[in-house]
This record gives sequence, C-alpha cells and structure tokens, in this order.
Amino acid sequence: MLIPCGQYKPARNSSIRFRDLITMINSILSKFKQKNFLIGFIIIIAAIILVAIYKPNVLFEGLQRSALYALIALPMALLLGIVDIVNLAHGEFMMVGAYFAYFMNVQFGMDPIVAVIPALFLFFLFGILVYYITFKHIIGKEPLSQLLLGFGVGLVLAEGITVIATNFPRKLGLDYVSSSATIGGFTFGTFEFVYVAATIIILVGLQLFLKKTDTGQAALAVGQNPRGAKIVGINVQWIYLLIFALSIALIGAIGPLFGTRYTIFPGVGDQYTLKSFILVAVGGMGSLNGVVLAALILGMAETLVLSSLQYGKWADIIYFALIIGFILYRSHQRQVK
Amino acid sequence: MRIKVFIVLLLAAFVTGLFFVAVPAQAAEPIKIGALLPLADATGKDGSRSMELAVKQINAKGGILGRQVQLIVIDDELKAEKAAAALDKLCTVDNVDFIVGGMASGITMALIPGMKKYGKVVVWAGAAYSGVEKAMEGQDWFFHLHAWDYQQGAYYEKGWAEVKQKYASFKRDKMFMAYEEGAFGSGSFKGQKVLAENGKYEVQGEAFKSAAMGGGDYRSVLRHAKEFNPDQFIWVGYDKDALPMMEQAKEIGFSPLTFVGSPPAWPVDFAKQPLNEGVLLYSYWADTMKNVSRASKTYSDAFHKEFKDTPTTYFGPLCYTNIMILADAIKKAGTIDKAAVIKALETTNYPSPLGDTFVFKKSNVIDHQANSWPKFMQWQKGKLEVIWPWEYATAKMIYPFPAWDKRGKASATIEGEKKAVPAKDAKKDKVKK
Repeated sequence: MLIPCGQYKPARNSSIRFRDLITMINSILSKFKQKNFLIGFIIIIAAIILVAIYKPNVLFEGLQRSALYALIALPMALLLGIVDIVNLAHGEFMMVGAYFAYFMNVQFGMDPIVAVIPALFLFFLFGILVYYITFKHIIGKEPLSQLLLGFGVGLVLAEGITVIATNFPRKLGLDYVSSSATIGGFTFGTFEFVYVAATIIILVGLQLFLKKTDTGQAALAVGQNPRGAKIVGINVQWIYLLIFALSIALIGAIGPLFGTRYTIFPGVGDQYTLKSFILVAVGGMGSLNGVVLAALILGMAETLVLSSLQYGKWADIIYFALIIGFILYRSHQRQVK
Repeated sequence: MRIKVFIVLLLAAFVTGLFFVAVPAQAAEPIKIGALLPLADATGKDGSRSMELAVKQINAKGGILGRQVQLIVIDDELKAEKAAAALDKLCTVDNVDFIVGGMASGITMALIPGMKKYGKVVVWAGAAYSGVEKAMEGQDWFFHLHAWDYQQGAYYEKGWAEVKQKYASFKRDKMFMAYEEGAFGSGSFKGQKVLAENGKYEVQGEAFKSAAMGGGDYRSVLRHAKEFNPDQFIWVGYDKDALPMMEQAKEIGFSPLTFVGSPPAWPVDFAKQPLNEGVLLYSYWADTMKNVSRASKTYSDAFHKEFKDTPTTYFGPLCYTNIMILADAIKKAGTIDKAAVIKALETTNYPSPLGDTFVFKKSNVIDHQANSWPKFMQWQKGKLEVIWPWEYATAKMIYPFPAWDKRGKASATIEGEKKAVPAKDAKKDKVKK
C-alpha cells in the first residue's frame, strides 16, 4: 500500500491496560508510536544541527548522499506500493539510463542533465515494452517468481550493455561536477545538491500525482485493494502498466544524473538495487516519506562514521544496523499488538 | 596364386604409402598455445591483440620448428570459476602444449590447482600478489613475468630515493595512502608501512570503498588526507575510481606536492580529461617509450599497423613478450618436450618492448622470475610520459602537482637538479634522439 504525504496515520492502540511494568513500557512505546514520525523528525533535525556545528562537511555531504539514496529508492517505493512488485532490475535500469546519457554526450555532445528529458520519455516506452514482455505475466504470482524475473531482466540488461559497450568503466569529464563553494574557510562541493533538488521534485511530483489527480487516486486505490478497485470500475491492468512505466521512466532518467558524478560500468547498479530495497522496507513498504526519512538516516549516519579517520571503515555497518533495527522494531510492534 | 601375391603386395604398398603420408601430416600439426585473459577489460584486450600480433609475426616467418603456432585465447571474464573452467578446456579439449596469459592475482590463485594438475609449462604474464608466488614454490614449469608486490614496493622506494637525490626541491617526508578496502588495497598499505619504517618517513592511510564495490564517494578520505597535509598522496584502487577521485580532490581543494594513482589500468576516458595533468602513476610501459627504446618502437609500430590503434595498458607489450619468450625457448629446445623447453626458458635473454631485457632468476620463493620493473609515469597534456628510470625518461616531472585554482597555464617542471645523471645505466637498445 502506498502512503502519500498527509495520509500517514499510524494505528492507535486503545486497548492498552496499565497492569504491570511491562504494560507500562508498552504504553510508553505505544505513545511514542503514535507520534513517532514527529518525534523522529525532531530528533533527526537536532542531530543534524549538532553534527553541522561539530563537522560541517558531514551536514553537506551527508545530505547529498542521503538525497542520492532517496532519489534512487523512490521509483522502487512507487512500484512496490502500487503494483506490489520487487523489481530486482531496478539498479540496472538506472545503469542503462546512465549509458544512454554517456553515449548521447559522446555522439551528439548532449549534456547528461539535458539527457534526463529524452531519457524520461524513452524509458517510459521501454518500461511499457518490458512490462508487456515480462512483468505483466507474474503480477499476483508468488514473490519468488517476481524476484527471479527481476534478477533475469537485470542480468539481460547488464550483459546487453557489456556486449554493446564492453565493461570498460566510463566517466564523462564535466567541469561542473567538481564545482565548490567556500564558507568561512570550509570548502564543500555544490554539484550534488542536484540530487537534493531532484529528490524534492520527484517526491512532490509523485505526491501531487497521487493525491490531486484522478489517475493517482485510482492508483492509490489499486495499491490498497486491487480487487475492490476493479469492482468499482478502475482499470487495474492499465494502472499497473502506467505505474510500472512511470517507475522505469523515473529510474531511467535518474541514470544520467548518477552518471555525471559516478563512473559507470555494467555492474554499477547492483548495490543500489539492494540499498533501495532496504530503504523501501525500512521506510514502510511503499511510503514515499518513509523512504526519504530512511535515506536521510542512512546517508547522514554513513557520512558521520566516514568522517572519522579511525572508524571510517565501519560505515557499512550502518546499513546492516538499519536493517537489524528495523526488523527488531517491527517484531516489537507485533508483540505490542 | 599370383593374383593373391599381387593383392598382398598392393595392400602392403598402400599401407606403407599411408604411413609416409601420415608422418608429414603429423609434423604439420600446429604448436598450440592456450591463453587466459579478461577480454572485456583493457588489459585483456591489449594483451590478446598483442599475442595475436606476436603469433602472426612468428607464423609469417615460417612458424617454429617448421610448424605453425596456433593461439587459443579464452576469456576468463575476471571470474575465478570461469577461469578454472577455461583452463580445463584448454588442457583437455584443445590439448594445448603451453599455457600463457593471466592478469589478476585472484584469478591466478584460482587457477593454481588446475595448473598443478595438468603440469604444462606455464609462462605467466600477470599476478603481482606474492601469495601466488608462495603457492607456486617448487614448480619448475612456472615462469613468471610480472614483478611481485614486494619487489614493486622496493623498486618504487628506490625510484623516489633517486628523484630526491637528483632534485633538491623534491620532498617526500609525509605520505598519505588512500587504499581500496579489499585485499589489493589493504595489502599495498601493509607493505607501504614497512617501507616507510625503513625509509624513515611518516605514513598515514585510510581505506575507501571502491566504485567497483558500490562506493565512489572519496571525500571523507580526501579530507583526512588534506588535514594530514602530506607531501605525497597515493591512492590504490581500480580504474573505476580514477576520474571521480580527481574530481572530488578538486572539489575539496586538495593538491599535495605529488598526486599518485595506482590502479592496474586507467579508464578509457582518463587520457582526455584535463584533470589528469600532473597525476603520477606506476606502470611498466607507455606508448611514448617508442622514443627511447628501439624494441618498444618496433612493437608500437607493428601494433598500430595491425590494429590501427595504440595499446593503452602495459599488458600489451607484456603479453607480446609472453609469446616471444616462449617461442624463442621452443626454437632453442628444438622440441616441445617439457623438460627441454624448461631448460631453454631458463636461458631466456629477450629485449622486451617494456624496456627490460628479460632473463629468469630466482626470486624469494620461485626459481623462474623475470626481471621486469615498473616505471614512474606522469600524465602530461593527455599523454603518459616516463619520468623514471632516467634512461627511459621521456619528459621532466611536473612538480609540484598543479594547484586546482592555478590550472590553465603551463605546468612547472621540477627544478633544483643537483647533478647530471650518469649514462652508464642506459640500455643498449636506446634510440638516439
């Protein structure tokens, strides 16, 4: 189920009885749960301010890193929230988008940021094609089929790019990606704020689409109850196709932005598929705001750990800690209920 | 009766005739050389093309021992399991006589059991990890061309000491090494710490996640390096890290006196980037060496003529050397018999396009280690120039590394030369300018 902005309403637990200490703890946790989003948000803002004072680079670079994570995870959240598909080829679509921008630049001199626009249209069509050939046939089937199909599509894309472009790493030399600003003797990169802007645009755009348009509301209805949506006359298959193509269009268009900053090669998307899936899971399956919040936690925490010379190598542990913490929290929630 | 005798004689003549026909047919069978290389990688592409070039040249001259040479190259895809399967195929299906090639140490490690099982003569181009050397102890059929990691490290120290000795302005008292977190990077840092202790200079290091492993943000490491304020900054990673590393160094305004990169190969786009100006690296060969080495010029010209292209990695001339050394040994041995070829390989004396004359000597562990040595190179105006050893130097070093905000003008070359370099080490094949 996809939860757009303003509709996030955690379930209230009114049946709590204050009988013993455990019940009391449960009550406190329950109260926290009611306001967890707000409290969590305040804690994060406070932590960010503290970090900014202590290490300003963590603030800037953490924000940029978080934005990139969120940007890549949002199309997956959209797809998972409405069509209920885990697309394991997610990172590979981004990789193909990055190669598209690379060759558009090499062949026609098109700037990768400009290439976002044709990529959006082309990947929308590509998404329709991929949907009809592959994913259409496994909707509603067991999750293992989805995972295997996604894995297979990813493999085809990666190997296809290897055949066309070899697996030599490629990177465009763009002056603006190393642009920087200096404030009070502190120098920081400014280009990656493009990721912050892109995340805001996609997040707000998706929220508006889902809340303010008939198609978006129909999509939400399909995400919540496909059978019910079908009964009231919504063309569920069309919604699935639209959301799948939109998700592919978005991730394909993110590829050029990714390729401006990072070296591209056929296997570059792998890590981001896994990371996006974890962010979607931690943020709440299909919750767009949750994904952004989870990305903010992961990105800022990773950057904070990396900023330590001694403990920087433990940055990867944040990722696993987030998963473990999320599983424990969900498990606790079930027990409380 | 006469008819029967006649038929028997006819059959006998036919069988005898078959025998005489069969012998030359057997003699005309090609000598098969099996090669393993990562063909989708720049090293494998250059390596396989250079091997093909060498074989073509050999066959054009009538082959070896009156037989043509057949090269069978299989792509190991830089995957251990693929490489092991490819070796099995070469030895059992293709029935090759010799094994050559190789690039990555990890892949070589995976091939060692197979190599030992089949026991064919192996002339191996790649693998610098000394763990391979230990695993090959006592194997008289194993001939290794690339220098081992500890040999390279010691040689770099020798080089920097010579640069310091020659130029009063050169400084290397503090070094920062950014290394990828895998075995390649952490092994390099471990070795560097030992060298720094012996060389009495300060060294600081930090691991980073390579773009090859899902990383790509080096700003934290670069900031730590900037805070340390080293004379020399070295990053040990992969080609995927090369350009983003420079972009991010520029972004945070980090420009030490010398900026050294040490990936096994450089990305295809790196030569075109203005950010590469002044970046130093360790390698064995650059195309500009054709100006100072006759063997290198012959190789470069032949490669260009054949492929209308220029090799971008030293695995081109190294793999060419690989085939030529083996071919010379077979010629010398006069047979493809294993013991005779091993004996002939031990007498190798081949002036390679890499500049070194290859002979096999004992290393710390194995009996057959070639004396190939890395060189200091520097990107200057989009070209790789050799800086050291002096006898192969094609340009003077840009020093210090140009500051990011002062680029666009001509870069300053190193000053403060103390004395002229003695010409006694100059190689015989050096081309007079």
